[in-house]
Amino acid sequence: MESIKEKVIIDCETTSLKQINQKIRDAVKDKVPEVIIENPWASHNLGVGITESIHIIYKGDVGYYALSLCDKVTAKVEGNAGWAIGENLMDGEIIVEGNTASACGASLRGGTIAVKGSSGARAGIGMKGGELIIGGNAGYMTGFMMQKGRMIICGNTGKALGDSMYNGTIYVGGEIEELGNGTEIVDLPPAEYNMIKDRVETYGITAPPSFKKVVCNGRLHNFNKKEFGIWKEIL
Amino acid sequence: MERDIIRKSKVWSPEKIEEIQEKSDLGRYRIRGQATKRADLPSFDDLVFTPAGLSRVPLEGYRERCDTEVIIGEGKVKRPLVLDTPIMVAGMSFGAINAHAKEALGIAATRTGISTCTGDGGMHPVEREASEKLVYQLLPSRYGLNPYDLQKADAIEIVVSQGAKPGTGGTLLGQKVSEEVAHMRDLPPGVDQRSPCRHPDWMGPDDLGVKMEQIREATNYEVPVMIKIGAGRVYDDTKLAAKVGADAIVIDGMEGGTAASPEIQLDHTGIPTVAAVVEAAEALHEIGLKKEIKLIIGGGISNGADAAKAIALGADVVYIGSAMLIALNCNKSLYLEDYKALGTEPAACHHCHTGKCPVGIATQDTDLMARLDPFEAADRVENYINSITMEMQIFARSCGKSKVNALDPTDLRSLTLTSSLITGVPIVGMGHHKPHYADYESSSVEQNVLSQLLV
Ligand code: SF4
Repeated sequence: MESIKEKVIIDCETTSLKQINQKIRDAVKDKVPEVIIENPWASHNLGVGITESIHIIYKGDVGYYALSLCDKVTAKVEGNAGWAIGENLMDGEIIVEGNTASACGASLRGGTIAVKGSSGARAGIGMKGGELIIGGNAGYMTGFMMQKGRMIICGNTGKALGDSMYNGTIYVGGEIEELGNGTEIVDLPPAEYNMIKDRVETYGITAPPSFKKVVCNGRLHNFNKKEFGIWKEIL
Repeated sequence: MERDIIRKSKVWSPEKIEEIQEKSDLGRYRIRGQATKRADLPSFDDLVFTPAGLSRVPLEGYRERCDTEVIIGEGKVKRPLVLDTPIMVAGMSFGAINAHAKEALGIAATRTGISTCTGDGGMHPVEREASEKLVYQLLPSRYGLNPYDLQKADAIEIVVSQGAKPGTGGTLLGQKVSEEVAHMRDLPPGVDQRSPCRHPDWMGPDDLGVKMEQIREATNYEVPVMIKIGAGRVYDDTKLAAKVGADAIVIDGMEGGTAASPEIQLDHTGIPTVAAVVEAAEALHEIGLKKEIKLIIGGGISNGADAAKAIALGADVVYIGSAMLIALNCNKSLYLEDYKALGTEPAACHHCHTGKCPVGIATQDTDLMARLDPFEAADRVENYINSITMEMQIFARSCGKSKVNALDPTDLRSLTLTSSLITGVPIVGMGHHKPHYADYESSSVEQNVLSQLLV
């Protein structure tokens, strides 16, 4: 019986993007449990469209769309991430040790993305499920048009938080610069705080002493001419 | 004295009065399905073909081949999209139309060797099953998007905007967001769905270039990637879409249809299809990529004349949406009471947004859906596609072309000055510079004749 390799190491300095993704796909096929990406140098599209279990470690910063359109993948980025890390992730777990640029976890559907640092604009935009945890701050339009899922932001958020969200929950530990249209802050029961705290601490992030719970207030679900003041911003 | 003539105002026409009164009730702009109803747009009808005569020999209709095949992504991807005829079914979402309509379109497209398209809202299994060639749309909303369906597609279409309403996102009113539609889109049932107009994860053309690479990597360079843009700043947009490496560019003209859009936008935004094709073709010519990148034109294409003229002006393929629905039975004179209940009648219906489509196409209501038998409807669509193909071939053969795609602007003349200005195609009667006019001036004999005539 052929033994399964323990890990595959890919050096981005000597490998083209096509070859990198092909090597990851081959590792998946060969049931190799772990892939190590060395010298990623913030290159784009490292590890996309993977739909089988594998663990990927990025030894540095990644560019746009790392780990996007994936399912069942677990990964750790030992650096910062560019735009849209984990976009449309179906299931799995991505941990980013540093910060992320815009659109982190855009259209996330399942699994968890945990960012230990801060995140740029539009984190969790159009989320359709899953969990996005941000240890630091999150930028403008975070959670825009969120549909489902849970977002936990331990620091502050920019303007238009959760704007036009249909559903889902956003927990904010710090200050909210401005709530988005169609959102409201509701009470957070202690048991729910404990659950959120647990989730955050799972990733080695210190939980703030309290969270604000932001949800959709339902007022943008169906047009109401009596509330033109709100709809003027939307239609 | 009693007046016996009632003069209706041209300024305050019945349509304008009705519009104001409806808005004064709704408290918002009007939303409706279908396309603009403007009658004053330049169209393909303003052009005619100049068939062969002595100067060029026509092809024998009964004997000689006239090819219709078009290949998208040839030499660039592992599985190029081969179309047996230069027609594609335009994107219409599951949600806007139902599974019966999707199935019928898929069966008809498969039989005629063309593609269907998922539209917004994900890939319905019935549609995948019925369609041999299925284009998967990637839209700003990302409804129903998943890597498995992406990898099952025969081409990917990144939608920047649509012709009916360029610059805004989709709309699906709550009455059409059934349990199944809501489930596929991860929305609360019954919600007025408003899709974003910008993609969540890219903003401008440079980002889109990286996005293209992502899609190619995720699909392992297997299938073509196309970019669809509503006709607005066509010339620049086409060049940018080419720059980011699209295998085909879809330009959707202002006559494009919709399931639900603000009516004011349907009528007042975008570029008519006939103008859009010219601008797009010019842009591709200018950067030397006209042959390499396929140009697909949609928006109000209804017959083989529209399609062949679009191709002569530079398109490789036409996208047909609304007319496919009409072939399915849209606006057919059936179930008259139900049209009446919607406040309309056959041939005037644009009530897709209500979810109460009388003929069972643009509805998720199971009783209404039962009115659309997918197999009978597929026969009608198949016949329609075949008829357009034959019509295109008539024009190509009569112009002496052995391929529909060999039609070019010299096969056309404009009927109006406007059309000539827009398309650059000479107006009828102006095909040449009439050098013989000079003869009249110089020839004393003819001067003589002229002066005699004047007497
Ligand atoms: S008949 Fe149905 S599909 Fe056609 S316009 Fe009316 S509602 Fe829309």
